[in-house]
Amino acid sequence: MLLRLALATCLFALPARADVAEAVSDHILPGLAHFRDTTATLAASDSCDPAVLRPLYHQAFDAWIAVAHLRLGPVEEEGRALAIAFWPDPKGLGAKAQAALLKAADPAILAPDHFAEQSVAARGLFGLERLLYADPAPSGDYACALTQATADDLAGMAESVAQGWQDDFAATLTQPGPGNRYLTETEARQALLTALITGLEFNADQRLGRPLGTFDRPRPERAEARASGRSLRDVQLSLLALRQFALKLVPEAPQTQAAFDRALSQADALQDPVFAGVSDPQARLKLEILAQDIRAIRDAALAELAPALGAGIGFNAADGD
Amino acid sequence: MKHTLLATLFCTAALPAFAVTEAEVVQTYATLAEAGYADSLATAQALQAAVQALIATPSDATLQAARAAWIAARVPYQQTEAFRFGNPIVDDWEGRVNSWPLDEGLIDYVDASYGQSEENLLSTLNVIATPHFTLGSTEIDASAITPDFLKSTLHEADGIEANVATGYHAIEFLLWGQDLNGTGPGAGARPFTDYLPGDGCTNGNCDRRAAYLTAATELLVADLAEMTGNWAEGGAARAAVTADPAKGVQAILTGMGSLSYGELAGERIKLGLMLNDPEEEHDCFSDNTFNSHFYDGVGIRNVYLGSYTRPDGTLVSGPSLSELVAQKDGALDMQLRAELEASVVALQAIKTAAESGFAYDQMLAAGDKKGEELIMGAVNALVTQTTSIERVVATLGIEGVALEGSDSLDNPGAVFQ
Repeated sequence: MLLRLALATCLFALPARADVAEAVSDHILPGLAHFRDTTATLAASDSCDPAVLRPLYHQAFDAWIAVAHLRLGPVEEEGRALAIAFWPDPKGLGAKAQAALLKAADPAILAPDHFAEQSVAARGLFGLERLLYADPAPSGDYACALTQATADDLAGMAESVAQGWQDDFAATLTQPGPGNRYLTETEARQALLTALITGLEFNADQRLGRPLGTFDRPRPERAEARASGRSLRDVQLSLLALRQFALKLVPEAPQTQAAFDRALSQADALQDPVFAGVSDPQARLKLEILAQDIRAIRDAALAELAPALGAGIGFNAADGD
Repeated sequence: MKHTLLATLFCTAALPAFAVTEAEVVQTYATLAEAGYADSLATAQALQAAVQALIATPSDATLQAARAAWIAARVPYQQTEAFRFGNPIVDDWEGRVNSWPLDEGLIDYVDASYGQSEENLLSTLNVIATPHFTLGSTEIDASAITPDFLKSTLHEADGIEANVATGYHAIEFLLWGQDLNGTGPGAGARPFTDYLPGDGCTNGNCDRRAAYLTAATELLVADLAEMTGNWAEGGAARAAVTADPAKGVQAILTGMGSLSYGELAGERIKLGLMLNDPEEEHDCFSDNTFNSHFYDGVGIRNVYLGSYTRPDGTLVSGPSLSELVAQKDGALDMQLRAELEASVVALQAIKTAAESGFAYDQMLAAGDKKGEELIMGAVNALVTQTTSIERVVATLGIEGVALEGSDSLDNPGAVFQ
């Protein structure tokens, strides 16, 4: 009798706790582990041949996109989120910082501790993109060593983020309480809902919005990861990851899921890998529709997930300018 | 028993008489804003007088006096930044007066190391030396540098935000020039001879440089007068927060949270450190960044405590958000007050270090542990207080705070540049 009661209580309690716990165990931790593994594989390669490294770079970039919206916890320490993917970069700081490193050709800077202190603009996935897709490719021993140091540094950050969640931050989120960063379950839910909404806005406002510019002044050169041809792919993979994240937070959210499906099929129908179509009125319209579709997901999520979670959204790093 | 009951009744009945209301809190908020913008206006007028003196009689003394007036003008203005993000009237206007960072080569001569920006064709225009130029397919006549030309044509030309032609930082550049000391100490070193008419003129076009500085200062004064009016009795910004006090309280919290976290801790402080880039300093020409950060922190505290100390030392204060929160959750109010204080202390530590000779640029240098510790101390304090601001939002039962004033929602077309 007592056992049955206890079981009943457990069963009853489970759905209420499942949201944050499931998001952590089924979405966040596996995603971070995959990012750690793919960056480790990239770093393990001895080659400096772009033809060898490019596929590994894409796997690591894919893995990052699946977790890039998780702007909380260990990735916010030591500027890791900025260093892993320094974009947008409207002042071209990444190219400048990397050119300075190549020009100085100082081997001491490439030691892991020292490299981790260099400008975030020179590091991470966009640092690698410039090395692997530059035309002409930078050649010579130092460029090769810089490529390897950048990959090692990236793998180190991915490892630190995955480990930080595993050892500490996962529990911080799933076991809120007095003295904890999150005092209540509601606060933990709010943190994840904020990450979801901010991730959606980043796709609409930055990944699509920057190249769209205005009708009179489109900016195709501002598309993300244009050199490696990933602009559309990043939006698609991000939406897939965000859909899974939303599903783990609130399994029953038909409007939100339908909005995701609409945006994803719109994205899948595009034949425009780097959003070159922003300058063409016909193609541009399709990209504008995609941006609207993504904003519609955000609206549906706010209408549906926020009440289901009993949480609002908090401040995020993109507030401000 | 009877006594207890009576006491309870008394307390309950007494509460409304002493309780602070949302309506009172937003009145205080609007009054603080009006005082802050009025002081910004007065100090900008003093700057304008100093600029007129510099141009009438260029000398080292008049240049130093104009620089001192600029630094004094920043003190009240930075404290008003807490009003920005919660109030669309302020946020839509802000780009005219405090746009940053800028491609200063648009305005005047720059060092050869400056380079041409790939994203901004006008980054090395040097309009002071260029009375006629082409923008896209349009011929631009810049022969007369007037307030209207700066505001309507040059500011954000080509749809690029880094083309900052107006406001404090354009004026700062014209008073100090580029800071070429990298992560070493020292600010910009523009000579007063850049404003000498005739043969003594250095770096060319002194008359056009003087016209630019005059026009930009005039615009700043006009813009600040406009915003002061918006917060006066009958003004639109005051009406927006007082008409619906609950929305007004929401504006206060949105302003506090967005400035604390995304803008100040993130964009202005942490990013510069992570880039090790002295050009990411908010007041990079004058090396006044430590003051700008400090007074931002003070401004956030002001709006919570309902209290502002004017440049002449007089105090403006009234019923506060702090008291409103304390009525619901005394512990949370105490915690947030302590955290706002801790941020001001951390920002003061940067200010004290900078004033003692450890320049903000030096703190940004790669591997400078002492600078990193000082700067991250302020970042962490600001991030910490943001969490409590979120808790205040939840405690007061306000919805959708961070959504209000978010560019992407209010004005989907505006965030892309």
